[in-house]
Amino acid sequence: MKKSHLYLVGLAASLALAGTASQAFADDEITRGQLMAASCKACHNAAAEDDGVLKLNRIPADVIVSQMKAFRDGDRDATIMDRHAKGYTDEEIESMAGYFSRF
Amino acid sequence: MHDFNRRNFLKVAGISSAAALTGIGCAANGMRGAEKAHIVVVGGGSGGATTAKYIKQFSPDMRVTLIEPNATYYTCYGSNWVIGGFAGMDDIAQGYDTLRDEYGIEIIEDRVTAVDADARSVRLSGGDRVSYDKLVMSPGIDFRYDDMPGISESDAERIPHAWKAGSQTELLRSQLQDMPNGGVFVMVAPPNPFRCPPGPYERVSLVANYFKQEKPRSKIIILDPKDGFSKQGLFEEGWAEHYGDMIEWRAGSSGGRAEEIDVSNMTVLADSGFERVRADVLNFIPAQHAGQIAHDVGLTDDAGWVPVDQLTFKSEMDDNIYVLGDASVAGAMPKSGHSANNQGKIVAAAIVRELAGQEPINPSSANTCYSLVTPDYAVSVAAVYQYQDGAMAGVSGAGGVSPSGASTSFRRREAEYTRAWYNGITHDIWG
Repeated sequence: MKKSHLYLVGLAASLALAGTASQAFADDEITRGQLMAASCKACHNAAAEDDGVLKLNRIPADVIVSQMKAFRDGDRDATIMDRHAKGYTDEEIESMAGYFSRF
Repeated sequence: MHDFNRRNFLKVAGISSAAALTGIGCAANGMRGAEKAHIVVVGGGSGGATTAKYIKQFSPDMRVTLIEPNATYYTCYGSNWVIGGFAGMDDIAQGYDTLRDEYGIEIIEDRVTAVDADARSVRLSGGDRVSYDKLVMSPGIDFRYDDMPGISESDAERIPHAWKAGSQTELLRSQLQDMPNGGVFVMVAPPNPFRCPPGPYERVSLVANYFKQEKPRSKIIILDPKDGFSKQGLFEEGWAEHYGDMIEWRAGSSGGRAEEIDVSNMTVLADSGFERVRADVLNFIPAQHAGQIAHDVGLTDDAGWVPVDQLTFKSEMDDNIYVLGDASVAGAMPKSGHSANNQGKIVAAAIVRELAGQEPINPSSANTCYSLVTPDYAVSVAAVYQYQDGAMAGVSGAGGVSPSGASTSFRRREAEYTRAWYNGITHDIWG
């Protein structure tokens, strides 16, 4: 229940942002978090979604943070995301999480 | 609540207009200058196309021109699927329509023959010049045939390298199809460093998969100058499970180092001439260095690769030229499509920030590499990189290879993710 509520909040936020998404990159100074989030897009984008790789733009930032920490700390099963997640500190995960809604 | 929001809005708007009036917004003015800058990207592979696209994503008004001689780009990744007979060339073909039509990138279908760094312009094969403010080069690799006695580049029509995808991929595939059951496929693997470190070993895996189904009495020999290779334990585990003793890998210190190729007799001389290995199909993957244009421009080091400031991938030789992908010296990052894609984003951010008068970002980057041992059984290696002490270095504790002894379902899931990775990364680059 709580999860689906969070999901809807995230979705609403994404929709609210959708109109300005293309400007979002251009208006702001590019940040390290943004560059790290862009790295994830190599795999996590619309083309891979049908194959079970999540497209992250509909996932709320706090869910991305909690799941990355769960992958990193061994609390969530994975084939490869555990190996990636171990490369990031809490601060780095939090700094990139807010950018996925703009993709 | 409503008033509070309105006040906040006015406050933000007030700061913006004050900044514009007083000139505090010099960064914004810098951006405006940058929007008119012309970025020329040479090479439409993973590194070049990603850089072009992400510059437009980060700064849509900037002018970006991508120069690439081929209308269709065949990815090296996935080409082993074609050689193994379970994918077609169309499955690994990429084009530039989306980059042109949706991102506003100018595409010039031509080859760059020279760079005039002082005049900041490139010359095309027809003689035309294109001037730039910043030049990005992602020229990939070229081969060092001179390192191997007995064979030259013109022999590639008979003895394919198939290490640049396209007609060479189709040639090797057709030779394998024509080979009789009971024949010998010999691969001469390249010395380090080279494009796609696990690629040769994925290739023999998928050739073995084809032989097992169609030509089960055939044999595969890898002659390797090296004493080890990427994901070795996982490949050998998969080979034993699926192909028995069909694949024989000979390490450099155990007679695997090829010393000469007798082209007319399709024979490789190894082990100080004591060993003569005859092939029915011979796949010679030569030693490599940066793409020729990087040498011509004077960007390469003694080893034939391009040293760069790994914070930005700016050439150490020229302040207005960035070099990325397989041609560059990128610390711990392997020469892979995924590395080139990630480096393209670093370069795009570095150029946009530099033109806006901003300091470079300390970059973080990643590599993900899947290899198929069979079409339904894959293994992977992952890594996260950060810029430390002047080089891209792996973050300790992160990354690594798939577990050994994993279940069939784990390997199958990684095979599904292999295809997902291909669809995802090609969409991120060209889609």
